[in-house]
Amino acid sequence: MSAIGEVLLFPLSSLILITAFYMQGQEFIRPMIRGQLVQSILLAVISVIMGIITDDSDFIILAVLIVVLRGFLITFFLEKGIRKDQVHLHEKQVSVAYLFIISLVFVLTAVLIVYSVVFSSIKTESITGNQGILVFPLALFFQGLFLIASRRTTYAQIMGYIEEENAIVLFAVFLLPIPLLIEASVFLDVLALVVISSVVVVEKFTHERVEELRG
Amino acid sequence: MNTAFILIILTLLLPVLSYLGYLSRVPRLDNALSLANVAIALFLYEFTPFSGTFYVDFTTWVFILMVTSVHLLSQVYSKSYFRKQEIWIGENLFNLLLALFTTSMIFSLEINNLGLMWVGIEATTISSALLLMTEKNETSAEATWRYIVIVSAGVTFAFISIILIYYSIGTLEISSILSMKVFPSLTLNVAVAIALVGFGTKVGVFPVHTWLPDAHSEAPSPISAMFSGVLLPTALYVLYRIYEIDPMRELFVWAAVISVIAASLFLGYQTRYKRMFAYSTMENMNLALIGLAVGGEYGLFGALLLLLSHSFGKAGAFYSSGGILRYTGAKKIEEIHGLWKSMPVTSSALLMSSFAVTGTPPFGTFFGEFLIFYSLFSIHYYVQLVLLLFFVMAAFISVNYNVTRMVFLGVAEKKGEEDSVMSGLALLSSAIPLLIGVIYVVVVTGAL
Repeated sequence: MSAIGEVLLFPLSSLILITAFYMQGQEFIRPMIRGQLVQSILLAVISVIMGIITDDSDFIILAVLIVVLRGFLITFFLEKGIRKDQVHLHEKQVSVAYLFIISLVFVLTAVLIVYSVVFSSIKTESITGNQGILVFPLALFFQGLFLIASRRTTYAQIMGYIEEENAIVLFAVFLLPIPLLIEASVFLDVLALVVISSVVVVEKFTHERVEELRG
Repeated sequence: MNTAFILIILTLLLPVLSYLGYLSRVPRLDNALSLANVAIALFLYEFTPFSGTFYVDFTTWVFILMVTSVHLLSQVYSKSYFRKQEIWIGENLFNLLLALFTTSMIFSLEINNLGLMWVGIEATTISSALLLMTEKNETSAEATWRYIVIVSAGVTFAFISIILIYYSIGTLEISSILSMKVFPSLTLNVAVAIALVGFGTKVGVFPVHTWLPDAHSEAPSPISAMFSGVLLPTALYVLYRIYEIDPMRELFVWAAVISVIAASLFLGYQTRYKRMFAYSTMENMNLALIGLAVGGEYGLFGALLLLLSHSFGKAGAFYSSGGILRYTGAKKIEEIHGLWKSMPVTSSALLMSSFAVTGTPPFGTFFGEFLIFYSLFSIHYYVQLVLLLFFVMAAFISVNYNVTRMVFLGVAEKKGEEDSVMSGLALLSSAIPLLIGVIYVVVVTGAL
């Protein structure tokens, strides 16, 4: 069972990265939120597999937390902010080709970092210490940052932040899960921040340069 | 349960109890409870160092004292500040968030776990974000959003360092880490460097400082005072605790020196006074970071002296700014003239706080900066020292030139009386760094 699980980790991690690409190229807000939901559920599945491999029930509790707090509650709060007449809410001028090229550069950067001297001494808990799997959380982290930097809408930037958080969880799951109490507190913090952000969404949908905030 | 534990729990609960005091509508009960928290914080000194669920040593104690004191001042000040203005989020929610903001800062300082410290720092962002938007307009909404997204992205990055520390040492308990012999490794080096960038976002380390001037300039003055006076130092404290695990002195000192240089250059062309004070905060935080990184008797004490004096001095600067903004409605330096005639108390406070935050003798900040410079000299960091002396002097000139222009240049039209509570608190806050400086001279050096 654990051997099958280890085999599944790479394709599942790749799927997470694909959801990140999907969100990066998506100009409509609602599908982007759903992309985040899928990404969080994939993350929960990986956590369950890690629980089976390491025989540690904390991973299973972590998976439940991810599904409930990150998957459903965050999706609920974000979708609640979109009115029924705004189903086609989208960001204009999203240059998909350019975004994908930059995204690929980030994946290559993650590969370089993981296989360079920086991570050479780090051994992961899974796949008999194969550090190559750390490429996925790092690439996802860069994707999250890039989503924040490349987009102008508040929604897209919140997605970028959640993606960053997902990357951190994935990193901890592969490396060494931190105590559950801390992990749970982190999830609640992120949830609260998304709720606060959804207040800002109502006030400010897009972000442009403001003269008073220059210099 | 011992007394120290009960006192620590009280410091965490009292800001929330103070909010309940506000809800009870008993006049000034909230302020009395916040004052009690300052007293408890002072009394806590008797029980330092304390280790258990919480970890409080002398360094922590100084930070707790700063947070409780500036909270009290801002709480009193905000009542007068918002008297003639509607708060967008409502007065109740404002006071609740102010209490939670204070509690989350104290929690970050006192908890004996790096992971939960991170949670506390993230909680400060959650509780303070809407406080920034109390004066609801396009600019403050944008500043709030920048604050949320930049700080959260940075602090999330810092969580990688927490994971790597846990991976390397196997515990996140500060007292255990400090008591064990930790051998520096490549992984720990990476962790501490990541913490510098991650928590550095909240401290105001260049180039991840960009939220800082926006948030400080657009927040209402009592909140700007708390941001500048205590929020940034709280983040600095967490960064310092991580730095202690694997001191990468060269990296930290250079990052801070470059940040001071950047702040000094930005100060040179500021046209809005609150933004100017925000960059001055960036300068002071990075000077303190140098002191903490160099450590030893002079570096650490210098940093604590600087931070303590700066917290009151900068609160005074923002309280004066709030008074000026309410009185004149102007945000730009060039639009304000002759304050010494129209607002004599506020202008005195502005001038004094300006001296305080730029390290003019005999304010406490001067002695703090002096000790930090001396600590750099003692470890032969001459290049960094010369650069700092030059750019700190440039920052001194920029801030004081602009403030003296606002106070003494031109003639202002008298529009009425200045608010006595706001101007009085501004003056009180500005005078405390002077008192700290005098106490330092009299008690510590025994010079008089």
